[in-house]
Amino acid sequence: MDLEYKEIYWLDELSKEYNDIVGKKCANLGELVGLGLRVPYGFALSVKAYERFMEETGLKERVAQIVEKETKAGLDVEKEIDKMIEMSARIRGEIELADMPQGLGREIAEYYDGLQKKVGISDVACAVRSSGAVSMPGQMETYLNVRGEAEILRHVKKVWASAFTTRAIVFRIQNNMTISWAPIGIAVIMMIDAKSAGVILTVLPTVGDLDRAIVEGNFGLGESVVSGEITPDSFVINKNEMCIESRAISEKTKMVAYAECGTEVCQVPDDLRNCSCLEDKEILEIVRVAKDVEKHFGNPQDMEWVVDKRFVFPENIFWVQARGAKYTKKEEGKDEDYVIDLMLQLFRK
Amino acid sequence: MKIYDCVPGLEFDETVDFNISPAWFQDATHSVPPWTPMFGWFWVNFCRHGMQYGAEKLSLPTVKGWDWRFKDGGGYLALLIVQDPEERKAREERFRVAIRPFLDDFPGLWKGFVNEMVDRYDKLKALNMDTATNIELLQNFEDTISTCRRMWEIHMYMMYGVYTAFVLFEQMTKQLLGFDDSSPQFHRLMSGFDNKSFQVDKGLFDLARKAEAMGLKDLFLSTAPAEMKTALAQSPKGQEFLKTFDDFMEKEAGWRLERMAEINVPTWLEDPAPAFAVVKMAVEKGMSYNLDEERKKLEADRLVAEQEVMEKISPEQRAWFKMILKLAQNSAWFSEEHNHYLDLYTHAMIRRSCMGLGTRWVKEGAIDNKDDIFFLMPDEVRRAGINPGMFNFRPLVDRRKAEWQQWCKQGNAPAFMKEGFTFEDAMGGLVGSMDPIALKVVVGSMPVARPELKADLFGVCGSPGSVEGTVKVVWTEAELSKIVKGDIMVAPTTSPSWTPVFSILGGVIVDRGASLSHAAIVGREYGIPVVMNTFEGTKVLKDGMRIRLDANMGAVYILDK
Repeated sequence: MDLEYKEIYWLDELSKEYNDIVGKKCANLGELVGLGLRVPYGFALSVKAYERFMEETGLKERVAQIVEKETKAGLDVEKEIDKMIEMSARIRGEIELADMPQGLGREIAEYYDGLQKKVGISDVACAVRSSGAVSMPGQMETYLNVRGEAEILRHVKKVWASAFTTRAIVFRIQNNMTISWAPIGIAVIMMIDAKSAGVILTVLPTVGDLDRAIVEGNFGLGESVVSGEITPDSFVINKNEMCIESRAISEKTKMVAYAECGTEVCQVPDDLRNCSCLEDKEILEIVRVAKDVEKHFGNPQDMEWVVDKRFVFPENIFWVQARGAKYTKKEEGKDEDYVIDLMLQLFRK
Repeated sequence: MKIYDCVPGLEFDETVDFNISPAWFQDATHSVPPWTPMFGWFWVNFCRHGMQYGAEKLSLPTVKGWDWRFKDGGGYLALLIVQDPEERKAREERFRVAIRPFLDDFPGLWKGFVNEMVDRYDKLKALNMDTATNIELLQNFEDTISTCRRMWEIHMYMMYGVYTAFVLFEQMTKQLLGFDDSSPQFHRLMSGFDNKSFQVDKGLFDLARKAEAMGLKDLFLSTAPAEMKTALAQSPKGQEFLKTFDDFMEKEAGWRLERMAEINVPTWLEDPAPAFAVVKMAVEKGMSYNLDEERKKLEADRLVAEQEVMEKISPEQRAWFKMILKLAQNSAWFSEEHNHYLDLYTHAMIRRSCMGLGTRWVKEGAIDNKDDIFFLMPDEVRRAGINPGMFNFRPLVDRRKAEWQQWCKQGNAPAFMKEGFTFEDAMGGLVGSMDPIALKVVVGSMPVARPELKADLFGVCGSPGSVEGTVKVVWTEAELSKIVKGDIMVAPTTSPSWTPVFSILGGVIVDRGASLSHAAIVGREYGIPVVMNTFEGTKVLKDGMRIRLDANMGAVYILDK
């Protein structure tokens, strides 16, 4: 496949083949778009954008010098942690303080402008997320609620700088990777104003029932559902009949919302606690879309959805994750065996 | 030569039989009034055989079927309980494999047996009894015996299997949903199924509509059922109707007897008067076949009830719960349909074979009346089958007939109990056996008196609903004619051939019954309230009384005290 190698992409230009170019997060979101899913609107800065920034600002050389100097005599990761902290701070400081090269800055600003038009909100709040091409979980930063062109540019630099956190440096040393080079992409995507969020599994995982899907959700962001800290609302849907076979509306006391930086747990308003976090039509739309994805991949899916309160149905349902579901495969005749066990218990009293 | 007057080998003998079981229960549902010797022989031999066959085929862990005895025309039974825990364990392992066909494809299993039996019946019916040789008549009798034996094998194998699932389902509803088979909710889950017996009823109602359409209404209204055939033969229209009627009798409805468990009453084919009585009643009372419509409603209700129930079951438990629900629902329609293809049809075949022999034996001088054959034993039929004219059975028949009349007059005891053994001990034994047939057909749930309701009579819900109406106490089929639309029938128990009258009843109260008894199943399908196990309904309630029947609460209120 011939891949176009650019510095900035709209998410719908991407697919999982772009993993090395824009990083995993961006490539995945692009893949979801390719499946026909509505993902939060946004754009991606490729590794090439990072490299151009480093090149044009002279930082590439600068960083190489700093690293060279500090590691000339060899570096003992265990004993010289202070040295690495200091090196990290220096490099990050230089990156964050550097001026964004004019050309690149203008291009990023153009995409941000395009995003504002797409969403229909000026100075739309965005998440600026790192998107590493190799898996380095949790090593790089993510910034939420970033508004306006200047702030976007500032935070893009902050994410690039986060390629040189102490942990990232240690990781590269331990894995015999070049310290001064990091394949880092960035996703700039609009913030969701979440009414509710949660997951759908297109299989009942504990029994392996492939004819049914289960949707679980809570008010606010999806973290509260994924982490399993609260009891979410739960709906079982017959995928063939497309009817909701059962619903358990729980008392939802806590939810997760965006804070200035990151997220925070807060109280669900009293009058909402015992209300369903989804309307029936939203549930069925979530199932409909998830069924398509399941059909595309040929296996049950585990997907994360968010309902954005600023948009009208069905444009209010956004997808942020899709992966193969883990579930207990239904063994042929297992239910029969269990029924026979129950029958035998009858005779044992 | 020593002559045995009873069922040889199975006559009750208290000197030895109390060693087998301290209690023997009368089968009051089937052997009251007392059986003729010939029918008693068939029932005691082969119902007994079928129960042991069914329990063995399925390898029921706790019970090996029932033993049966014959005493003065009564059938008496005792359970063969497996005592040794090791043996129970071994039987459990075999049960695991044996019960599988019921889970895999119950309707297919049943259909195979139906085909097998219908094939046997067709072969038996192929013999023309008037022109057959004595050898052929005897062969037909032997084939009938083996058909009866096979019928009971199928009967009890199926019944044990499907009732086990029914008992399990009831347990599950109790544990997971908090109600049992005396609850209206439970009955809603079991209603709205068609079966062959109902299709026969529908045919009779259709005949009534046809008679009206052909302008025969007045003739039906003014003619007694017994005279109907002669009256119809007088006019071309009547003859045309008779042709349809006879055809329906031959193919569908004729092979049933008024009393399910006897052969000394004519089949509807021999004497169509009871069938004409149903058609006449339908014309007279404007009964129309409302089962189809009623079923649609019940089916819709059932689906709602199923959904409600499924919502209360957690998703992980649904697959197997649904499996048990389906099996239990099978037992509801199977209970009614098997009467048509098994008991009623086979007994009609036994009667047909006996009548063929009886007619020939009268002609050749062995007996005076063809019905006298019912006072002989199969061994005697075999002894004289080829040359009946060489034997005189009159003294034997006279003696046995006199005895039988005496049995009918005196009635039989409800149980034989070893000295010091109480009825409660005996009931405990039945329940402890975990025998699903004993639990769901014989014993049933015991009514719970609720003083707060201030009712006059308590029973158990067999079919939900509540209604007000006039009492009609019914002991025999002949008394059905006194019922008018909306009446509440009060009976000791009901018989499959009484089914058509359910369409005009307001409700039913029976002295004895369980959730798989005839009255409960038919009541559910007609959507009328049924209360069972009142024990003394036929004593307390009198013809003409106004009562309110609240089946949901299992309560009966007398309104005009």
